[in-house]
Amino acid sequence: MTRSSAMSRWSYYVTGTALAILFLSPLLWSGWASLRTGTGFGLENYDRLFTSDNGIRPHHVLNSLTVSALTVGGTLLVATLGGYAFGRFRFPGRDVLFLLTLAILMVPYATILIALYVLLGWIGLQDSLVGLSLVLIMFQLPFSIFMMRNSFEAVPRELEESAQVDGCSSVSTLTRIMLPAVRPGLVTVGLFAFLTSWSEFFAPLILLNSTDTFTTTLAVVNMRTASHGSIDYAALEAGVVFMAVPCLLLFAFMQRSYVRGFTSGALKG
Amino acid sequence: MRSRGLRALAVSAAALLVAAVAACGSDEPAGPGASGTAGVDDGAQLTLWTRAATESVSKAYADAYNATHKNKVTVTSYPNEEYPAKLASAAGAKALPDLFGADVVFAAQYASQGLWTDVTERLAASGLKDKVSPGHLNAGTWEGKNYAVPHTVDMSVMLYNKDLYTKAGLDPEKGPTSLKEFAEHARKIDKLGGDVNGTYFGGNCGGCVEFTFWPSVWGAGGDVLDAKGETAKVDSKEMADVFALYRALYDEGVAAPASKDEAGPTWLGALQSGKIGIAPGPSVWLGLIEEKGVKMGVAPISGPDGGDSTFIGGDAIGIGATSTKAAQAWDFLLWTMSEEAQVEVVAKGKGVPIRTDLASNKYSSADPRIVLINSLVAKGRTPYAKNFNASFNDPQSPWLQTVRGALFGDAAKSLSDGNTAITKSLQQG
Amino acid sequence: MSTLTPPRSGPARPLPAPRDAGPAPRRIQRSAARGRALLGALYALPTAVMVGLFFLVPLVLVGWMSLHRWPLLGAPTMNAPANYTRIGDNELVSSAVWFTVKYTVLMTVLLFAVAFGLALLVQQRRRGVGFFRTAFLLPMAVGFASASLLFLGLLSDEIGPVSDLLRALGVIDGYVSWTSGSSGTALASAIVLVLWRFAGFNMLILLTGLQAIPLEVYEAARIDGASRWQTFRRVTLPLMRPTIALVLTMMITGSLLAFDQFWILTRGGPDNSTTSLVMVIYREAFIRLDLGSAAAISVALLAVLVVFNVIQLGVLRRRS
Repeated sequence: MTRSSAMSRWSYYVTGTALAILFLSPLLWSGWASLRTGTGFGLENYDRLFTSDNGIRPHHVLNSLTVSALTVGGTLLVATLGGYAFGRFRFPGRDVLFLLTLAILMVPYATILIALYVLLGWIGLQDSLVGLSLVLIMFQLPFSIFMMRNSFEAVPRELEESAQVDGCSSVSTLTRIMLPAVRPGLVTVGLFAFLTSWSEFFAPLILLNSTDTFTTTLAVVNMRTASHGSIDYAALEAGVVFMAVPCLLLFAFMQRSYVRGFTSGALKG
Repeated sequence: MRSRGLRALAVSAAALLVAAVAACGSDEPAGPGASGTAGVDDGAQLTLWTRAATESVSKAYADAYNATHKNKVTVTSYPNEEYPAKLASAAGAKALPDLFGADVVFAAQYASQGLWTDVTERLAASGLKDKVSPGHLNAGTWEGKNYAVPHTVDMSVMLYNKDLYTKAGLDPEKGPTSLKEFAEHARKIDKLGGDVNGTYFGGNCGGCVEFTFWPSVWGAGGDVLDAKGETAKVDSKEMADVFALYRALYDEGVAAPASKDEAGPTWLGALQSGKIGIAPGPSVWLGLIEEKGVKMGVAPISGPDGGDSTFIGGDAIGIGATSTKAAQAWDFLLWTMSEEAQVEVVAKGKGVPIRTDLASNKYSSADPRIVLINSLVAKGRTPYAKNFNASFNDPQSPWLQTVRGALFGDAAKSLSDGNTAITKSLQQG
Repeated sequence: MSTLTPPRSGPARPLPAPRDAGPAPRRIQRSAARGRALLGALYALPTAVMVGLFFLVPLVLVGWMSLHRWPLLGAPTMNAPANYTRIGDNELVSSAVWFTVKYTVLMTVLLFAVAFGLALLVQQRRRGVGFFRTAFLLPMAVGFASASLLFLGLLSDEIGPVSDLLRALGVIDGYVSWTSGSSGTALASAIVLVLWRFAGFNMLILLTGLQAIPLEVYEAARIDGASRWQTFRRVTLPLMRPTIALVLTMMITGSLLAFDQFWILTRGGPDNSTTSLVMVIYREAFIRLDLGSAAAISVALLAVLVVFNVIQLGVLRRRS
């Protein structure tokens, strides 16, 4: 091994490690801060997080899980069908619909939420977790449709054709042949849908009206202003950690899948 | 437009009432309809929204009311910062709750937008109109009609640390009687050194500054706004003097350095630390600070050369304009203004009663500081302006820019430019 | 809230490059083609319903609002084009436009540099590369609102370690408020937050682009005696162009719609120095309760974004 390659290897590890520490330290600090109490370390802050007047209640967690499940399920369904349509079919209005879907990214959240609130009232879904999930699905669509379209395009055409030759109907071709082929894309789309819906703050704040339907994020943000405008930083960090742990675990365990999802999806502009 | 909407509302409220009564199979004769002025207690489910800051009081009212009434009130609170957004979107979708509270200085805006139901006749019939905090009532008034009633009272007072007073050789039983004396006290305490500071204020928080500085302007005989809330008067000599005094305290390092960046959230924490000698702040903090083991004294806020005043803040509450249960909601409001609620819920919880005739009650007399706070209601003011939030409280308001300039920049220019900008903002449609 | 979700924010403003994806031109009977088109349309139906109902309808409503004086309750009255002409008089808008543009340029340059650097660092399979990638990506797992709250604590003087650390190192002296002390530190706080949160995501996209470059191309460059830098300039960058364009567009759109980081961290301060355009929209709608004006600014901003993206798309197509 030459000296210069040893040097470059050395510098690679030093830079990489330094950056990794930099990126991980806020996460580690929030974990540490959430455990630190006046006298030492303990679960006091978490206790406050769950028992104070504005704290997290079991039904908040249940609501968050419901919204996440509905959003992930809905996003996967719509994006799979839509991605298949955009990736494999030609039909009138295809490009327009695709561009419109992407345009969702260009609208400032603050204004469209009022309009959405009005709309949900019209269709009788005000203050409902289903209504919130539908809105969250819509916001997930640009990313998800784009991702799934590219995933479907990347599947070799022969695979689909051989299935049709075998007499599979279109639907069974999709479910039996195509879906397994785009699995990494599905995992990525599902993961990001979960991440967004689990930690979304503004949409639930505006769209939900009663404490029964509140999600966990609302409870955590409420901690920010709980007692007469003073921040309980420690309990806040406990809330941040509580919100982040499920996502961190999912992220860490599914890394391989979603990196593959990206390689087959997002890569192509 | 409004009257037609109101009539439709009353009709539908009456219809709903009948339906509700029928559905419950109640034997009682249907009480006075929604068009009447009395409250109705028929087992309705009422929703009440409030901001997080005053949630505990609303909850205490609701719990006590629910225990003795058939109507049931459910309180939902929202983060302070996002509460106006929540109300606006609910109103836009015509889905306001049956009852909602608002910071009293925002009340005029909500009243002018018609977010609350007109309660003029109901209030007149209740016989309480002259007994409740006039500032709050005025704030909830638009074009001569009452839309909101007082809900909670919070006043600005001088809070001082008795232990630090003793250490600095000051009399812990005697607070300052003028703003100049306040500055002297702060300087003396600051000389104690270490991490102790003379005073503290929210220099990056429009709401904090108006709440704590304006009483000094009023005490000196000055004014900040005209009565209609359409013209600013912040370029007055009184205002300039008050700013100059606080500015000097900051420049000398008597005010804690964090005062410059204090946007509100850590204000209470600073006072709870026990390292601040004396500072103007909300009266409701008295208990919260003493919880941390800091012994506090209370004094009125005064003008540079004396003259006590206070900013009467807190919340006003009204019936959501889109509510179909106005009569039941009014029943709750009537009850919250009753002697029973004001004494057994508010005064017992060390709060300031919204009733001026109940300022001294069996709970207040136990603590002379509470007597002092309650007595200030008569000397205080609540400013009135339709565009109050956008002009003064919002972080992007022209007032906050003025404050920053007056305290940390070119004072004279900021006050005169600010006066123009605030007036423009106040008059905006 | 524009940057709340990975897809909406810095990241995914995927550049559309609609391609023919139907069956390769072949002699298929016309009716079969029509049947297939119908089938495709059927698959696209849920998307169409979602986009139509939850995006187009509200969008039209916003456009309609922008032409009216729109009270919260009661009947709106047409006042076009007053809401648009009044945008010019709003001093806050002009300062917010400048700030937003400045922020967008700064953010895009920094985020791109960091993300590309990270992607280059972890592009080769070596020992430990998996750990590094995970480390850079993990911040993605924290929701953006949570991440902002995390930084609020991290940078606070009360419990945050940043001030203590820098004081110990002698960089700063005494009390410093990062999020509202000065316009510079407030902006820097927001930028560091976004870098931390989004660098990994953009790294991932750039990484997929890097890995799609066939090894033979590098091999050929090496045989030609190209230096590392030459290879990077002449081979990597040109081949990465579509991916780079995608990432840049997403970053720019996300930055122009920035809201959360300022709303939670700096509240637009100090002295309105970090008030972004979306914050002004928020103020018009929810503080001033002037929905018409808020809608007008949104429509204007949307128009700018659409024009910008169409231009970007055109440039991209011509080059490729």
